[in-house]
Amino acid sequence: MAEREGNSLSFKLVYYGPAQSGKTTNLLRLHDLLAPELKGEMMSMETKDDRTLFFDLLPLGFRAPSGLLLKFRLFTVPGQIAHDGTRKAVLSRADGVVFVADSARAQETNNAESFQSLSENCHRVGLDFENLPLIVQFNKRDLPDAVPEGELRERWAAAPWPLVFASALRGEGVEACFAAMLSALYRRQAEAHELATVHGLDEAKFIAGALGQG
Amino acid sequence: MSEAGFDREWRLAELLDAAALARLGPALAGLLGADLALLDAAGELLWGVPPGEMRRVPLTLELEPIGFLASANAAPERLLAARDLLLGVLRAEVRFKMASALHLEAVAEDFASLKREHARLLESEARYRKLSEELEARVQHQVAQLEERQQMLYQAEKLASVGQLAAGMAHEINNPLGFIGSNLSTFKTYLERFAALQKTLPPNSPAWRELDLDFILEDAADLLADSARGIERIARIVSDLKSFSNVDRATEEFADLNESLQHVASVTRSQLPAGVELTLALTPLPRLVCLPGHLNQLFFNIVRNAVQAIQDAGRSGEVRVSSGVVAGGIEIRVVDNGQGMSAEQCEHAFEPFYTTRQVGAGAGLGLSTARNIVLAHSGRIELSSTPGLGTTVTVFFPLVP
Repeated sequence: MAEREGNSLSFKLVYYGPAQSGKTTNLLRLHDLLAPELKGEMMSMETKDDRTLFFDLLPLGFRAPSGLLLKFRLFTVPGQIAHDGTRKAVLSRADGVVFVADSARAQETNNAESFQSLSENCHRVGLDFENLPLIVQFNKRDLPDAVPEGELRERWAAAPWPLVFASALRGEGVEACFAAMLSALYRRQAEAHELATVHGLDEAKFIAGALGQG
Repeated sequence: MSEAGFDREWRLAELLDAAALARLGPALAGLLGADLALLDAAGELLWGVPPGEMRRVPLTLELEPIGFLASANAAPERLLAARDLLLGVLRAEVRFKMASALHLEAVAEDFASLKREHARLLESEARYRKLSEELEARVQHQVAQLEERQQMLYQAEKLASVGQLAAGMAHEINNPLGFIGSNLSTFKTYLERFAALQKTLPPNSPAWRELDLDFILEDAADLLADSARGIERIARIVSDLKSFSNVDRATEEFADLNESLQHVASVTRSQLPAGVELTLALTPLPRLVCLPGHLNQLFFNIVRNAVQAIQDAGRSGEVRVSSGVVAGGIEIRVVDNGQGMSAEQCEHAFEPFYTTRQVGAGAGLGLSTARNIVLAHSGRIELSSTPGLGTTVTVFFPLVP
């Protein structure tokens, strides 16, 4: 839940998905690619074999014309089965979720199970899954055995969530994915926080500010 | 975010407690070789000399300063170096604290999951326990039912066998009775021939008197008469027995119900227990189109129940059977002063297999069969009873105008 404190507004965004689908890589690439007004250092908690143990955190922010500081705190969750308790704890209080799926044909079952887990864990921690800003990213589009994009679009045609294709390792698609997340977040939160009416931020400015464009 | 979550924005005072400040402060001051102050985000002093005219450098972990390092007389580049050193410490500390807090949240969440699972398992166990008890009770009930049904089938088969036996015996006995009757008739003719012999002999023939043939002829006639009556009684017993087997009279015919009642009384009287009296109060009845064998069974069942009711009461009593013509039909009543029935017993009395006696002591078919027979004849059967006083069964048959 967005937190207003003093003259700043914080949003918590969580990158969720099966193990090794590229959640941490997404944040690393965003750190490299984005140049918003404010950008913090990436904080990682990894195991010796570079697997996320607790979470990663990338803070981004910019100041609205009104002077309000908008903060985006991007978290990842551990994907391994054994860390479901941690996943729930990281997921709690989230304002938006990016579901990072693995495009490899062999990972389809893991994707499905992880998405099911996301739905269940949202209910567990009290998030309104039906109205939660959610973006589905199919990562690793560079793999030779990736499921074709057309097939994925057809499969998810009935789903309400935007579909984004990425190769985080190459830096492709991760910024577009974050932009889609920001768009969904704005539509959900703008009215409650008077972003347009009081703080001079329409959706385009909101996204541009967070991405560090213009 | 919340004040308590791992993902809150941690304050400098949370990251460095008094003990940490007491160690870090002097070390940093020593490195700087100058006075030093640590301020929180609001500018409040956490450690060091009170702020005055001081140069400040921000301590930023995420996006905004969580505090400041300030000094009045440190060289600028040294102050920046001290800040970088302190930030390294703060980053390590915030990672540690966030990980610890997250771990606590994860453990709490796991514990909550286990509690939910535990509650679910307790509920499931209770459900299975209840199901097990229900199954056990159901099995016991069904076993008892099966045993009772088996006993009832056995009784029914016995009754069927009795019926067949009655029919068979009726046939087997009637044949020799025919022979005997015929032979006795012939023998009577022979006696008449002997009697005629007397006329051919001289009066007061010594041989005739010596052989006492007068007495012999007279006594022989008596013997023949007695035997004929015996044969007639056997024939009637066989006929009465046959009338209840329903084997040879399955077609409708005009019948006098009083004859049926007399048959029933005749059969029942032959096995009345001591202390039970059976009386008939019959008035002439018009003939009724019916199945006489079935009505015999009907009346027999009702009268037998009445006799048993008196026996069950453990005292002497009377079964009174009456018949008469009422508006539109024939009414027959069987009244006993036996032990009577409770309201509940009356309510179930016509149900198949219903009986208050132990299994094997009665088939529980009597009144159910009786009702079916009455209904098949478009009639009515009614039951009224008072516990301890007796029971009245009233049967009504409509007469077709």
